Amino acid sequence: MLVVENLYAGYGTSKVLTGASLEVGQGRVVALIGANGAGKTTTMRAISGMLKPDKGRVLLDGKPVQGQDASRIARLGLAHAPEGRKVFGPLSTEDNLLLGAYSRLPLFFGFRSRSAPDLEKVYDLFPLLKERRLQSAGTLSGGEQQMLAIGRALMANPKIMLLDEPSMGLAPVIVQEVFATIRRLKTSGITLLLVEQFAKSALEVADYAYVMERGRVVAEGTPAELHKDKRVLAAYLG
Amino acid sequence: MNLLIIAQMAVSGAMMGLVYALIAYGFQLTFSTSKSINFGQGELVMVSAFFSLTLLNWGVPYWLMVPGGLLFGVVLGLAVERAGVRLALEQKSEGWILLTIIIGLLFFSAAENIWGRDDRPFPTPISSDAMRFLGVSITPLEISVAIGVFTVMGAIELFKRKTLLGKAFEAVSADRDAAELMGISATRTVMLSYGLSGMVAAMAGILVSPITTVGPTMASALILKAFSVAVVAGLDSGFGVVVVGIFLGALESLTSFYLGSGWREAPGLILLILALAVRPNGVFGKASIRKV
Repeated sequence: MLVVENLYAGYGTSKVLTGASLEVGQGRVVALIGANGAGKTTTMRAISGMLKPDKGRVLLDGKPVQGQDASRIARLGLAHAPEGRKVFGPLSTEDNLLLGAYSRLPLFFGFRSRSAPDLEKVYDLFPLLKERRLQSAGTLSGGEQQMLAIGRALMANPKIMLLDEPSMGLAPVIVQEVFATIRRLKTSGITLLLVEQFAKSALEVADYAYVMERGRVVAEGTPAELHKDKRVLAAYLG
Repeated sequence: MNLLIIAQMAVSGAMMGLVYALIAYGFQLTFSTSKSINFGQGELVMVSAFFSLTLLNWGVPYWLMVPGGLLFGVVLGLAVERAGVRLALEQKSEGWILLTIIIGLLFFSAAENIWGRDDRPFPTPISSDAMRFLGVSITPLEISVAIGVFTVMGAIELFKRKTLLGKAFEAVSADRDAAELMGISATRTVMLSYGLSGMVAAMAGILVSPITTVGPTMASALILKAFSVAVVAGLDSGFGVVVVGIFLGALESLTSFYLGSGWREAPGLILLILALAVRPNGVFGKASIRKV
């Protein structure tokens, strides 16, 4: 589904990624863990096209997409719920969701009726969003905004979803809710690449995980395998 | 009697003010998607007006000339975006400021060479025989300006609020990166906003020309006031530009009546200075114009 090979990327003169490689198979939930500044978010950004990689390849369904515009990659079926959620603050919750399905809806008329079934699905998953559907997204709480960001990515009916730090800045109770949501998405068969600072929780939901350090992957394996790795255990799961 | 004169001046001025508002609205359209504006917008108004006049001289009927002129405005707007704005924005530079001014100057020279330096009358089938309402006289021509302005602004506002493409406009304006992640091409949205802005400029030209005549110098007279309106109202409130436009138009016409027409330009400039000093975000605005 998604293959990342030997990716180099950075901001100006600061090189963040120095040869990151990973793979996400169809229907799998893969976690990317590591310390702050290890390059997790940069990896996500380089995959989705928010950042143009300097070197390396990103294959989506076997087709190279590296260097293409983010909008193009999104239309190919990759939905990225970015770090910091980035909801459209002045727009209503429902408009945010509709825009999530932008690439597959008619641009002028009939987009409401066409998106109704998907909208219902997202509202089933997050009933709170339905209550807030006419409220502007900027006035939602952090947890609600995270739900919205996930819902907005789901609206695209993506082949693969990238979810970056969904627990960032949220109260522990809400973090649990977020992970409960991820588990439900997993049961429904989603293909997901998850970046998370809470390595423990991430490994509980993931089928497979990569550990990043200084811009490259230094360890990988199933959660059970990583739990046996003394170094990983000490550094991230202690 | 005196009150009646004031009312008369205010009404006539307000109609001109709506044209300033329309041009200012064109600034808002591009500012919202790209934080850039076309400083040559006045020349777009002028060149579109000349083009429309040429269509009329070729024998195109008035009501067919209008869509033709608007289409020409769209093309000009797209040309400005391509030649003057896109590269600068990609390099995150402020080069568009100088480039749009230069493109405006080019349009100005082109107009002088093609159509000459003289002001020319712009024929219209709409009557300018005054009608009286409560002692204030108003012409169908003036009413047509108001109708034209509200139709165009209303249609664009409907587009922005009711269509998915319009919502994409607002998404790009709110968060360009996130919009890209939704599959919305920010570049194309900016292009479209310049096209619409060009159309708005052409509409302003078609509406105002029968009243003011068409000439190469009409650009600078209009642009300064439109700019004042945009800055005073703020660069993100369509409602704001209408209110401020009407206010400035009325104020201007009263000033020239009481102090002489030499003082005509004063209120707009004073308002501009006041706004920049006291409320740089505009009376109705949230977005800062610091970058401009």
